[in-house]
Amino acid sequence: MSRTSPEQSRRIQIIFILLLIAILVALPQVIKSDSTINLAVYVLLFVSLASSWNILGGFSGQTNLGHAAFFGAGALTTRMLWLSGWNLFPSLLAGGLVAVALALLIGVPAFRLRGVYFAIGTLALSQILYITVGNMLPMISSLPAQDLAVYQLAPRYYLFLAIALFTIGAGYALINSRLGLGIMAVREEEDAAESLGVSALKHKLVALALSAFFGGLTGGAFAFYHVGYYPQLTFGPEWTFDALMMVYIGGMGTIVGPIIGAVFFVILRELLALNLAEMHLIVFGTLFILVVLFLPGGFMGVWGKISKALARQQ
Amino acid sequence: MPFLQVEGLCKSFGGLKAVNNVTFDVAEGQIIGLIGPNGSGKTTTLNLLTGFLKPTAGAVTFKGENIIGRPRSQMCPKGIARTFQIVKPFLGLTALENVMVGKVYGRDSAKSLKAAAEESREALTRVGLADKARMLAKDLTLMQRKRLELARALAAKPQLLLLDELMAGLNPKEADDACALIQQIRQSKITILMVEHIVKAICALSDRIVVLNMGEKIAEGTPDEIICNPQVIDVYLGRAHA
Repeated sequence: MSRTSPEQSRRIQIIFILLLIAILVALPQVIKSDSTINLAVYVLLFVSLASSWNILGGFSGQTNLGHAAFFGAGALTTRMLWLSGWNLFPSLLAGGLVAVALALLIGVPAFRLRGVYFAIGTLALSQILYITVGNMLPMISSLPAQDLAVYQLAPRYYLFLAIALFTIGAGYALINSRLGLGIMAVREEEDAAESLGVSALKHKLVALALSAFFGGLTGGAFAFYHVGYYPQLTFGPEWTFDALMMVYIGGMGTIVGPIIGAVFFVILRELLALNLAEMHLIVFGTLFILVVLFLPGGFMGVWGKISKALARQQ
Repeated sequence: MPFLQVEGLCKSFGGLKAVNNVTFDVAEGQIIGLIGPNGSGKTTTLNLLTGFLKPTAGAVTFKGENIIGRPRSQMCPKGIARTFQIVKPFLGLTALENVMVGKVYGRDSAKSLKAAAEESREALTRVGLADKARMLAKDLTLMQRKRLELARALAAKPQLLLLDELMAGLNPKEADDACALIQQIRQSKITILMVEHIVKAICALSDRIVVLNMGEKIAEGTPDEIICNPQVIDVYLGRAHA
């Protein structure tokens, strides 16, 4: 067996990625079934949400238990602005920025403390918003009749695709940058990183802001996609914990892990929900515990071990 | 103007005076040894100089600038780097990436990530870890981790390097290697303040030695003066040594 050089394997990777993107772009043209496209929308939504959670949780090592706050803030802002007559893209951008503002509000005080304060703070923030939004906006938010008349699924699908690619690309660019090196150094050993000139607070805040921004964008896309939902829905804890589980299952701190985790999770959930109804929660809870206990690197960790073992055999 | 000036440095933890009114100067290009029994305040002094602890009182002037109260992450870009008594490598990063952090964030930082990688490879070669560049730090031995920590600090191009017990936990052969490394660093005109327990090594390397006991400076001088100083022999070296 001839060994491939790094350049060759890199070229193969790029071709594979381009091919995958081409297939995803062609999908709505080929498949006319709305239910399949809807499933693909959910896959892309969770690819974005999990990848955005991973920017903070995986690269900077800070556990965010309130990502739903950013998703919900993005969704609420975008929905309100868009339905009030703004163009879609400024509405999405505003949604992302509101999520960033919210993130800094909790991050600036919480990151000055070490330990679990950030995890508790984010969880509290998202739950407060969940209850407050439920009380203040108890009515369902539906698209007006004239929008419903022209509703098309394909543009929604493409928006989710673009945001997923954007989020993944941003994560990739980040970990291959000076900033990303500093962020990972802080994750590994904060004292040593600071002794070398890396400001831990600043780097955590950058990771948090990016994570929140893409979480907010994803929420905005959801607001553009969904015909009618209670505004409270987007602040629900399941957005946080589903994304978190996907990252753990796929492989935290990697680019590919959250993607694999999201695809696996959404498709498996679909299959289980068809057959087991609400029982799928038990399946995922069990799966999550097993992964954390026995496969701390997730699927990507397993893959890394296999490829290492194969390399040794050669 | 001295290169580093420490004046009346004090640090109390509650009622305990860990460092009490310590004063000394370091001239550029010198190697200063900091010795004393366990708990005499050596590491605390290092932590005060690098911003890891805030002093209760006192002044530290580096190149004429007061550096007390500055965030610790600003010390390295100013030219002060340190190692830790218990090494703190970035375990999940490769040896090369470990060193690159120093290159990218230290003084006079590399222009691009690519340049940083190249220069970091040289730094690894200098400490004898050239073939370990792609290994994760968690797969390195203690000696290799110490070398890595040194390479990482050197990559930040410090003018003042603080070494906290670099030789602790090393066998005699490894300690000799570490001595040779420090001699080599001296060639590049980096000023060194080192905390060490191996008296033979510190006497061979240091230009001057500062002795601490119970948080206070009890002696300062050349290695020859220090090993004959009766007070130092009493509290630290012991009669057998003299």
